[in-house]
Amino acid sequence: MKRVLSNKWNIMVFVLPTVLFFTYIVIFPIFKTLWYSLLNEIPAKVGDQSHVVWLDNFIKMFTPGRRNSFPGAVGNSLLYAVLSIFVQLPFSMFIALLLANGVKGESFYRNVFFIPVVISSVVVSLLWGRLYKSLLPQMFESFGWTIPKNGFLGNETTKIWFSFLPSLWQYVGYHMLLMYGALKSIPDDIIEAATVDGASGAKLAFRIQIPMIKPMLKVCLSFSLIGSFKLFDTPWVLLERSNMDLPALSMYVEMFSNHKYSYASAQAIFIVLECLVFTVLLNIVFKDRDERRLARGKGAARA
Amino acid sequence: MKKKSVAGTILKQLFLILWVFLCLFPLYWMFTMSLKDTNEIFGTNMVGLPTQWLWGNYANAWGSGGRVSNYMLNSVIDTFATLIGTSFLGYMSAYGLLRMRWRGQKAVFTYILMGMMIPMHAALYPLTEILMSLTKTHWALIIPYVAFNIPITILILSGFIANIPYEMEEAACIDGSGIYRTAFTIILPMMVPALITAAIFVFLQVWNELLLASLFTTDSVRTLTVGIKQMSGQYQTDYGSMGAGLVIATLPTLILYMCMSGQVQKSLIAGAVKG
Repeated sequence: MKRVLSNKWNIMVFVLPTVLFFTYIVIFPIFKTLWYSLLNEIPAKVGDQSHVVWLDNFIKMFTPGRRNSFPGAVGNSLLYAVLSIFVQLPFSMFIALLLANGVKGESFYRNVFFIPVVISSVVVSLLWGRLYKSLLPQMFESFGWTIPKNGFLGNETTKIWFSFLPSLWQYVGYHMLLMYGALKSIPDDIIEAATVDGASGAKLAFRIQIPMIKPMLKVCLSFSLIGSFKLFDTPWVLLERSNMDLPALSMYVEMFSNHKYSYASAQAIFIVLECLVFTVLLNIVFKDRDERRLARGKGAARA
Repeated sequence: MKKKSVAGTILKQLFLILWVFLCLFPLYWMFTMSLKDTNEIFGTNMVGLPTQWLWGNYANAWGSGGRVSNYMLNSVIDTFATLIGTSFLGYMSAYGLLRMRWRGQKAVFTYILMGMMIPMHAALYPLTEILMSLTKTHWALIIPYVAFNIPITILILSGFIANIPYEMEEAACIDGSGIYRTAFTIILPMMVPALITAAIFVFLQVWNELLLASLFTTDSVRTLTVGIKQMSGQYQTDYGSMGAGLVIATLPTLILYMCMSGQVQKSLIAGAVKG
């Protein structure tokens, strides 16, 4: 039996096609992008002279200038991350706690709140786009509020907020479900013991429930962060073609409208690095906390 | 236990109902929009039920005016082929990586899972170089969809395959079953729930994908997401038909969710690590 399971030929038949295919379509292009990002121009047109310029594209990306919109785009993606972490996640947590602590219609609410998640982001964006153009102005009018000049998505100061809103709305259900699942898996006797000790409501939530679902919070946080750097569909559909307000959009425009392939490749690499750095940071933060808590626990036991 | 106050309960329910309303309103709006004419949508009757239920909008979007039937067919083909690809390759490699025994299997497993952390954006331009010649065919989407969804499929399968006892293989081996027969007639049937979990996750990813679909499809193989995005530009005058297109694009996922909401939720929890 052991011989069958470690037969080299069989293993190759099982694993090799996938590994080769995956390497050719996923890994190989990433290294190619990395290589392109170090060139001055990719010979897409005949007669182009391309040579290695090392980090020039990356320096250009962050050289201040009126026509360089990339730093602003990165800033916007960080703004989305902040909104997601400090507004969307707490809101989702609030709903998850309400549901997990037992209300009438618990599973009905959970199922309904999750519906936006399964809908295509294109459909969501198109619907919100229509809302911004017809219903929302009417509502603003009837309340006597001023509508931003050029409409919600035409106005330079408001457009970024209103293009974020649909995806923030859409993924509340996802975070809610993840947190709800984790909350539900806390053993009942822990909650009961805490309740007997007089913890309830906010105290129970902040002292017992939220600390206990930390691993899931980490998943939610990295989902928010990485999602914000990769954010593309919703603002792309809402804001039309030529805008460069977010890193992924900027990369897309540079690549497929302006045909600056190597510069766009550098932006793509930057997005990947940003994702990796924040993933590592999250791991360090969460690991650190756990270790410190463990150390404290040990110290207390010794004392 | 402390008795819960009545006011608190009412407040909670009110809040939850408000959020239900905010979750469902865009859908309600979409369905009613799809049955109205442009005049109604633009002012005379924005929110209410349609005065006349114009089912003709659907016929228009599906066939005569729009091309939604075409987009739908393409999306179905691409999604279906992708699911076959990820299930087959995912199961084969998961079996080889996690059931069989060889040096370096952990390293290869990690190598593939690392692919999950890398966003598709990073591969975009080299992918165009590989796939540009295929944009008249379905392969231009199926190939990257399968490749990029292999890691999550393997990850979801790995959680399940670990729970199957090795005695299964031992018994099969003693009975004289070869490795392929063991993998496909004994272990595979036990992995069906895992394969469904992975498939639902991949289905939602692929069905709703926009970026690659907008780059790698020419007119005849256009998928729903790109198609309705284009329609929204074209149909500046006929919003009813556009609404119908949106409804048609949404129905498959919505029906899937309504039929098996628990399973869909499980799949998306399992896939959450993908980010």
